[in-house]
Amino acid sequence: MIIETNNLTRKFGDRLAVDNLNLTAEEGKILGFLGPNGAGKTTTMRMLAGLISPTSGYAVVDGIRPDKEAERVHEIIGILTETPGFYNNLSAQRNLEYFAGFYNLSDASAQIEKYLKLMELWERKSDKVGTFSKGMKQRLAITRALIHRPKILFLDEPTSGLDPEVSQEVRGLIQNLSREGYTIILSTHNLSEAEQLCHRIAVIRSALVTLDTPANLRKRLFKHQTMIKLEEIDENLIQAISKLDYVNKHSREENTLLIELADPSKHQSDLIKKIVEAGGRIIEVTDKKHSLEDIYLSLLNEEEKI
Amino acid sequence: MTKQRIFNILKKEWQVMFTELNSLMLVTVLPVIILAQGLLYVWLIEKFGGESMINSSFFQSVLRKISEVMSAVSNLEITEQLQVFLLSQFNFYLLLIPVMIAVSFATFSIVDEKQTHSLEALLATPVRTWELLLGKALSGAIPAIIVTWICGALLLLGVQVLGWGDLLTYFLNPAWFIILFLLTPAISILSFLLGVIGSARAKDSKSAQNLVVLIVLPVLALIGIQISGVVWFTTILTLVLALAVVVIDFFVLKVAVRLFSRESIIISWR
Repeated sequence: MIIETNNLTRKFGDRLAVDNLNLTAEEGKILGFLGPNGAGKTTTMRMLAGLISPTSGYAVVDGIRPDKEAERVHEIIGILTETPGFYNNLSAQRNLEYFAGFYNLSDASAQIEKYLKLMELWERKSDKVGTFSKGMKQRLAITRALIHRPKILFLDEPTSGLDPEVSQEVRGLIQNLSREGYTIILSTHNLSEAEQLCHRIAVIRSALVTLDTPANLRKRLFKHQTMIKLEEIDENLIQAISKLDYVNKHSREENTLLIELADPSKHQSDLIKKIVEAGGRIIEVTDKKHSLEDIYLSLLNEEEKI
Repeated sequence: MTKQRIFNILKKEWQVMFTELNSLMLVTVLPVIILAQGLLYVWLIEKFGGESMINSSFFQSVLRKISEVMSAVSNLEITEQLQVFLLSQFNFYLLLIPVMIAVSFATFSIVDEKQTHSLEALLATPVRTWELLLGKALSGAIPAIIVTWICGALLLLGVQVLGWGDLLTYFLNPAWFIILFLLTPAISILSFLLGVIGSARAKDSKSAQNLVVLIVLPVLALIGIQISGVVWFTTILTLVLALAVVVIDFFVLKVAVRLFSRESIIISWR
């Protein structure tokens, strides 16, 4: 694990922003921090990046304690802050040269050229950043986070405030970076973004609500359901299904039956046979997919009940 | 690496500062006005310093004081004595230049980082806090010191050109050089650091400048003390004053470094 936290806690006065957080991040994978506003995502990211210290507990980032050796951590991380700031009166290239100047880079110019070209900003390299659109600034901020070849990238709300097209571009870019082997910690409250990008998701609400892959979260929270769309559903059909001992639960949504089977791989074909025998005319058979939104809301609801 | 980082900060600060018209005006127009104003007073005394001025009890007390500390001055004409007196004030008067430049650059530098949200990304680099602070302090203090030295040289040139060259021997004393080469850098750094502290508390550069404009007051007080003849800054006294400012610099630096902690910047600077 490239990142591990041990009861990581941060208080601001009396307010508990991060509460005994224990999580891990795998090398070369994208770990998403998902949670409502004020859940402690940015605070956690800042503690991992060595920008602020924990009140108690600690984190280990690539074998380094950020609270003890922040400068060493800064050598190996790149960060995209929630509001990425630039010197608006300086050119894009000059801004990057300035930030690159704090690392021991022998090929800063080549790195800047490489990433400006990758981000399609090379043609605008001499333009003042103040003239850039929000999307261009975001791409430039990602470039800034990459020029020193960090091992870990912290991306705080990378698509926040961007239009859908630019957001999609940025997401594509993050996926490419992940393929290149970067470890990425992505903070977002955009559920579809987290689902699209993250290998694992940490749902945070001050404390860690859960940490798993989106698929495992689905499995854990929702039983498998078979969706059968029919031309029409009558009472006989419902009764026939109710009598089947392997049907745990069933419900109806207009002309679609939602059926929870004891063992879907074993019983699904027999179920279809029985429906046809009962006169049902099947249009479509699919598995019910639960969106990350369902998972997220379910988790937060459970959390509230506790 | 430290040198490289400090130079990197210096270079960027100057590039950003000199894209601002206000900064350019500050290092060009302001010193010229201060210098020209001073020379104008000396010229006015020569041209119009009449009986009423010479008989004024204030000037008589000042002349008595200057004769005590510079006995050779009493051999000069009364008008010349007054000119020496005014030229002797110039070194303190010139301190207004580094104070105003350093304060203005400090507030601009810090508040600009605050307003553009560039500081969090900067603090996520391996730059150390003291490197950042020193780089910024030098970026404000160096132009302030250079401009003040240029003004000092222009003053001497002006005195020569306007035909008062004979008076140079009376006011160009060790205290004059202590002020220019020790007190000026010390005051520049002090002003910059106070500017940083003021800026850390302010929301924008205007309110920061309003806060730190108070830094000019002690310099005005120094001029007032000497003009009124309460205290005449002899070589020893000037040296003590300059060394005191150097000591104050270190204390203020400690406070500034504390205010510049990454944590408080990231959490509080919104």
